[in-house]
Amino acid sequence: MVQTDAAAGEPLGLKPAVARSWDPGFEVLVQPVRSRIRLRDLPKMRGVIGVLAMRDFKAKFKQSALGPVWIVLQPVLLLIAFLVGFHSVAAVGTEGVPFIAFVLTALGAWTYFQSALGMGAMSLLSNVQLLRRTACPRVAFPIATLIANLPAMVVPLTAALVVAAALGRLSLRVLLLGPGLVWLALVAAGSVSLASALTVRYRDLVAVLPIVLQMGMFVSPVGYTVADLPGLARTVVEINPLSGVIEMWRWAILSTAPPDAITFILSGATTVVLVVGGWLVFTRSEPTMADVV
Amino acid sequence: MSSEAPVIEAHEVTKVYRLGEHQSLQRTFAALRGGRRENHELRAVDELSFSIAPGECFGIVGANGSGKSTLLQLISQITLPTAGHLVIRGRVLPLLAVGSGFHPELTGRENVVLFGTVLGLQRRAILKHMDAIIDYADLVEYMDTPMKRYSSGMEARLSFAVAMRFPAAISIFDEVLAVTDDEFTNRCLSSLEGFTAEGRTVIFVSHDASLVRRLCTRAMWLAHGRLIAIGDTAEVMDAYAAAHATTAVTAAPASVDTAVRSDPPSRSR
Repeated sequence: MVQTDAAAGEPLGLKPAVARSWDPGFEVLVQPVRSRIRLRDLPKMRGVIGVLAMRDFKAKFKQSALGPVWIVLQPVLLLIAFLVGFHSVAAVGTEGVPFIAFVLTALGAWTYFQSALGMGAMSLLSNVQLLRRTACPRVAFPIATLIANLPAMVVPLTAALVVAAALGRLSLRVLLLGPGLVWLALVAAGSVSLASALTVRYRDLVAVLPIVLQMGMFVSPVGYTVADLPGLARTVVEINPLSGVIEMWRWAILSTAPPDAITFILSGATTVVLVVGGWLVFTRSEPTMADVV
Repeated sequence: MSSEAPVIEAHEVTKVYRLGEHQSLQRTFAALRGGRRENHELRAVDELSFSIAPGECFGIVGANGSGKSTLLQLISQITLPTAGHLVIRGRVLPLLAVGSGFHPELTGRENVVLFGTVLGLQRRAILKHMDAIIDYADLVEYMDTPMKRYSSGMEARLSFAVAMRFPAAISIFDEVLAVTDDEFTNRCLSSLEGFTAEGRTVIFVSHDASLVRRLCTRAMWLAHGRLIAIGDTAEVMDAYAAAHATTAVTAAPASVDTAVRSDPPSRSR
């Protein structure tokens, strides 16, 4: 399968250094460096990222009686929890939108973030064999979890769009969902790269992550809006990068009043810190991951 | 030996590891009190320089903890040296443990795609060779069964079958022929001989001295990360066996295998 003209006749070991199918003719210098991945290398990894994402997605529902049904059932159960938890406690200003539609619009952003971070933070630990035995690019593991968890967003988001259309609230403003999706992707990517890189060195994150996610659920405006909040509570929620995402989605899908500029600025600033910090921490710790894990 | 540029050049390569626990409550307290508790350091690979030519089957021997696996990780670019550098010319296939890339819940077929992609192949190329891989592993009837139902021998066969179809300039095998049966082991060994005949390089680590003697054209003996001997397989292996035979009762060349294997367990941790 890998015969070349040069290999056919000449004596062994004396062939010229021709480019063979197993040898693209490249030369690698292996030396101590602070980081060795660049942003522009990511597109080259899409093949392995795709296969890893498919593996993570398939493995999630193996030996499960309901299997992929959980993709729908999980957000439904969470939706019920939000309806019971928030609607009965506080009066939420929904601008005339039924509360169920109001929650559903934000649900996709939250369920995606929750499942992507939950799986993504553990992505390097759960691939420790590959990490220590193959040269598979490490950045492919967290990115794969970002893709494998997309159904957690697509299902509730589709439901939200259908409900918004049924209520007659869908307008051209739905185009704002584009930047809203990019924003969510950035928040998830920043969090997952930061959490996965830190987990390799400090297992403390494994203990603290479920609590962070629970707190995150309270400070994300899924069952309420930023406008409802007073003083300090409002600032805390506005710093949460998901708040900007959720308020933007709601604005785009339900055509409610535009969110406060302060929310966008604070939330956006946290997002930038998260993305830049996540990338720096990940790339700086990447060369030694196989040693410290 | 060939006149081509070496496929691997190592220039004073050193890899230092920290011993002991890296993070613990005691260490955190010590750090908070201002006292820094330094871990002891281990020079797993210590200023190693050597080169390997295309078409060689290169054997590496040494006791446990002599730095063999660390060196293979460096060549495979899984980890980076602490000092020094290596030049690698061509694609590397590391088979450092059998079944390490497999997911227990996925089927054999799904795992072939996964393992091949993780090693650096294109999905399309793997699917093209799927039948040949299944054929080589001789596991047709198991390919749609989850890997968790496989025996360790079956896992090893599938790992090898993928590896044998992997177009690498440098193929690395770290003690991975231990669980396969004789018939399959021989099939792999003749494939490896085919590799070197094509001008590809094979690096082979095994504690089975007779296997190294049979397969390798050149060998290197490591101890505590340092190079003790390098050169013709027979000479290196004789020296290695002689050094280890001093602890055994007999030192006759005929008992090389037993002498190496009768290494007291305390020395091989």
